[in-house]
Amino acid sequence: MIDWLNNFIDSALLIDAGRRIILSLILLAIMLGLSRWQHTDLEGSFIYGFIRGLVQIVLLGFILVIIFSLQSLLLLYIILSLMIVFAAASTRRTHKYPKVFEIELAGIAVASYTIMTIVIVLGIIPVKGEYVIPLGGMVISNSMALSLIAMERIYSDLEHKKGMVEAAIALGATPRKAMNSIIRDAIRASLLPSTNRMAILGIVSIPGLMSGMIIGGMNPIIAAIYQIIIFLMIISSGFIADIIVSYYIIKIVFDPNGALKPDYSIE
Amino acid sequence: MEEKSLFILKNIKVKIKNRIILDNISINLKKNNITGVIGPSGSGKSTLLKVLSFLLTPYSGEITYKGIALKDYNPQKYRKTVSYVQQRPYLFPKTVRDNLLYGPKLWGIKYNEEELYALLDLVNLDPVFLDREVINLSEGEKQRINIARSLANKPEVLLLDEPTSALDLLSTEIIENLILKLKKQDLKIIVVTHNLEQTKRISDEVLVLNAGRILDHISIDEFLHSRSDEEIRLYFKKQSSNGGNQND
Ligand SMILES: Nc1ncnc2c1ncn2[C@@H]1O[C@H](COP(=O)(O)OP(=O)(O)O)[C@@H](O)[C@H]1O
Ligand SMILES: [Mg+2]
Repeated sequence: MIDWLNNFIDSALLIDAGRRIILSLILLAIMLGLSRWQHTDLEGSFIYGFIRGLVQIVLLGFILVIIFSLQSLLLLYIILSLMIVFAAASTRRTHKYPKVFEIELAGIAVASYTIMTIVIVLGIIPVKGEYVIPLGGMVISNSMALSLIAMERIYSDLEHKKGMVEAAIALGATPRKAMNSIIRDAIRASLLPSTNRMAILGIVSIPGLMSGMIIGGMNPIIAAIYQIIIFLMIISSGFIADIIVSYYIIKIVFDPNGALKPDYSIE
Repeated sequence: MEEKSLFILKNIKVKIKNRIILDNISINLKKNNITGVIGPSGSGKSTLLKVLSFLLTPYSGEITYKGIALKDYNPQKYRKTVSYVQQRPYLFPKTVRDNLLYGPKLWGIKYNEEELYALLDLVNLDPVFLDREVINLSEGEKQRINIARSLANKPEVLLLDEPTSALDLLSTEIIENLILKLKKQDLKIIVVTHNLEQTKRISDEVLVLNAGRILDHISIDEFLHSRSDEEIRLYFKKQSSNGGNQND
């Protein structure tokens, strides 16, 4: 603990950072000047936001240093678990679907644990906080985002194709069979954008992770390999989350006898 | 044999979103006749057909088919046997063939070309229709494919929900003739209709629904004699505007 703290305090980096932040206050001054001139009355908000953001982000920096230095698998999984719960809980505010928290929790958790465990066990990424946590964070947030796309798509398609689904059920199809094409389309819609982004890597897009690693001094080839790995992690975990979510939605919109519930509702 | 009831419903109640849609429905339906279901719009006719085909599970009450409670059947197999045909034809992409074979593929029923032609012939469609895309069909052709799609599953009971309410006279006649032909082939048919003449032509008995309850379950002749013209008009008021004027 003391070691790395000393590293920071003593570091010439700290002085350098101080110099940069003081110089960048000029930007804040420009903002204040513009606000006064344009009577936008934003001076207070600017100063408050700047100080609060600065304190928070510096604190986060210290927390990250601690987390990144973790090498205990158990602790890392506990942190990942917390991130999973927060991610799932955050969907409740934006997506008013029945049981969205439970569904997303199941989808994100199964997807993220599976993929993170695979890359850790196979030694694709080192068991160090500085790898497991940021990569885990990307896997978690992408599982959430992708499976929400799938969920939205399933519900809106179901709304449009209810008659066809009912027709299939009336002919003796199981819910899974009747929803086949809807679920297939939803999974494709959720995975294709990331797949396309992977395909244009390095030509149209210079992704944040790789840029960050290179700025941080990593060998560009290693950084590039991590970048492609993260894409595989994102798409595979998104795929798993999509499948879990779609199965769960079937349980919600069909009754135990396999018929569409007449009263399932998207509040 | 004939006297045995195919369906027995006891005190069926259906609730949707806490609203009672069907209440106190107790009926016996026999095998070898055509039952017409009539009643004002919103009285629960479609809901009743869905209950009979296990597309809706009643809130309370008992229902048996051939003496066995519905809940004791495999629901998918049951729905194949007691086939509900929706009022509007929601056909699958892409061709007529895809639609006719959807059920048989689920159930491992094999069809050769001749048998598919025979199926089309039942609904007066030429074999060339087999590989037509469904988006190019007329409303009447779609509805006939809709019915043929259910028949492809070789059901024992056909539940038709206002099969002709949106159709021209020709398609209506074709479907009525089909219903009469199917009756001879030992198929039980229950048909929701708004058309008095049609009911007279094809039904052996009527089930009269009002506000979720059964008012009458009698022969069509008894019904016509026991009700005033005004009442009869009320039950057969057309609700769709595009069905042509078939109610003399
Ligand atoms: N899925 C549903 N959600 C809410 N109400 C419904 C639903 N299905 C049917 N109902 C209501 O149940 C009543 C009976 O409907 P229905 O059986 O379709 O009547 P009918 O076929 O005689 O016109 C109507 O008041 C209708 O609004
Ligand atoms: Mg109806």
